[in-house]
Amino acid sequence: MAEEFLRIEKLVKAFGANQVVKGVDLAFNRGEFISLLGPSGCGKTTILRMIAGFERPTSGAIFVEGRDITALAPNRRNVGMVFQAYALFPNMNVFDNVAFGLKVAGTPKAESAARVDEMLKLVGLSGLEKRFPFEMSGGQQQRVALARALAPSPRMLLLDEPLSALDAKIRVSLREQIREIQRNLGITTIFVTHDQEEALSISDRIVVMNAGRTDQVGTPSEIYNRPATRFVASFVGTLNMIDAVVADPAANTVRVGDQVIVLREAIAGRRGGEKISLALRPEAGSLAGAGDTALRGEVISSSFLGSVVRTKIAIGENAVSFDTFNAPDLRLPAPGEIIDLHFSAGDLLLVRD
Amino acid sequence: MKQNRLWAWLIVALSAIYFFIPLLATFIFSLRMRRGELSFDAYASVFSDPRFFASFGYSLAIGAFTIILGILVVVPAVYYVRLRMPWLRPFMEFVTLLPLVIPALVLVYGYIRLYNSSSLIPFTGSVLGTDILLVCACMTLALPYMYRAVDTGMRTIDIATLTEAAQILGASQWTIISRIVFPNILVAVLSGAFLTLAIVIGEFTIASLLNRPAFGPYLVNIGTNRAYEPSALAIISLLVTWGAMGMIQLLTRFAPKTARKD
Repeated sequence: MAEEFLRIEKLVKAFGANQVVKGVDLAFNRGEFISLLGPSGCGKTTILRMIAGFERPTSGAIFVEGRDITALAPNRRNVGMVFQAYALFPNMNVFDNVAFGLKVAGTPKAESAARVDEMLKLVGLSGLEKRFPFEMSGGQQQRVALARALAPSPRMLLLDEPLSALDAKIRVSLREQIREIQRNLGITTIFVTHDQEEALSISDRIVVMNAGRTDQVGTPSEIYNRPATRFVASFVGTLNMIDAVVADPAANTVRVGDQVIVLREAIAGRRGGEKISLALRPEAGSLAGAGDTALRGEVISSSFLGSVVRTKIAIGENAVSFDTFNAPDLRLPAPGEIIDLHFSAGDLLLVRD
Repeated sequence: MKQNRLWAWLIVALSAIYFFIPLLATFIFSLRMRRGELSFDAYASVFSDPRFFASFGYSLAIGAFTIILGILVVVPAVYYVRLRMPWLRPFMEFVTLLPLVIPALVLVYGYIRLYNSSSLIPFTGSVLGTDILLVCACMTLALPYMYRAVDTGMRTIDIATLTEAAQILGASQWTIISRIVFPNILVAVLSGAFLTLAIVIGEFTIASLLNRPAFGPYLVNIGTNRAYEPSALAIISLLVTWGAMGMIQLLTRFAPKTARKD
């Protein structure tokens, strides 16, 4: 059984009348890579800053290894952090930047030099000790920041959108490097991002946040394939949201526009006529007749995207997109054409609003 | 295009003439002490006067203490206001501008009234106390310059994030200010320091009314009693100021770079 490392209890943070974190409960295991994912203003960075000690919670508590650290000063938490803006000390070269935490802790010079050497090797920047931050690219600076955060052997690593300021190619390579280093060191890591692809690709678990609350906590696969709420479904991936009403709860049927279909997921507890939200992944639908369920709609548009063709159809009041793989003999449906969208009933997910 | 450049050069040349001719005239006049020929007699006279070195040395010492006090007060104040109380900035701007609108004469009368030998804090009751009062007064006079220099320096770096980066690495507030903040605003602080020095070296009103042997009262005294020496002193003062400005330029080279070299 995994050992609990960090626990957040009923965490609330308000800035004046504006409550940005609204009673969040979370528990992370030792060595886990957790992503706090959500749009701007959802409270993810505020939670990270409370874990770091930069913000004092309005109420609630944070425990690390069972010890309450809510009121502990940031410089006594033994936590490493990488910032979006790199935050390297401009007056120090790479060596001094990485050695800063060790120097503050009173580590002997020789030991400190060896550790800096080890950290720079880890992030692939050996030989650049004498360089100043202004002489390095953004990606290099962020790797120095990572080495600096890891040098004092912190018990936890906090990453505050560390890839946001970098260009696309560097982002991908650096996120892979961060994940590899994290795996090798086994350090519990909390990664804040608004980029769902980033979160899905490197996390053990993802916390999807919306308006100061956690909407869903789960593995990348759970978050992507089984979104719990309409928000998660729309924020993570490109799921289609379909408005439906419960037709017959006993028969587990729902009405989409004027078409009635059977859901595989139980809709127990809901009354007939009640509005519900369904989610369908674009890759789940096809025109070929595969699957046990179909919805008829009118083609709005068909776009050729290279390897796939994305077709948008209107089903009742809903616009639903689905992707089909490109083939040389594929005929694109024409706008205005009435087609049947086939899928498995199991792919239609019932989500909370 | 060519005509624009010509106008630019003409304006520069006229400005240079406007600036340098009085200086040149003062310099030439300072060399005319010996009748019929140019000499450095006025300078020799100035340098042979022990009061010159005494007053200049005194003002330098007062300047040094003023700079230290200014740094100790202004750097942490600007730092904390930028970091924790940004809503206080307009108030700080206003307060630091006050020395420019309150005449030094009013300031020193206020000081004498508050800190005279029969008051609760009798600063003027002793030489050391009066010197301390003079340092405080000079710091107040230099506050608009020191504050703006330091504030501008702090604006060029992301002080909040650097502070957090240092904090999370275990640094104390003192370590952050001394090892991160101060080195990164060193050039700005030095600019403020040299401006402070220039103000202290030329300060007359407060030093005179507090009856301290500073360079300002000495300059006025020489100016009223001698003909050529005041010109020599003016040139010497200018050289000191230019030297200070040169020091700022020189130190800028050793300043931490925050931008990419392109």
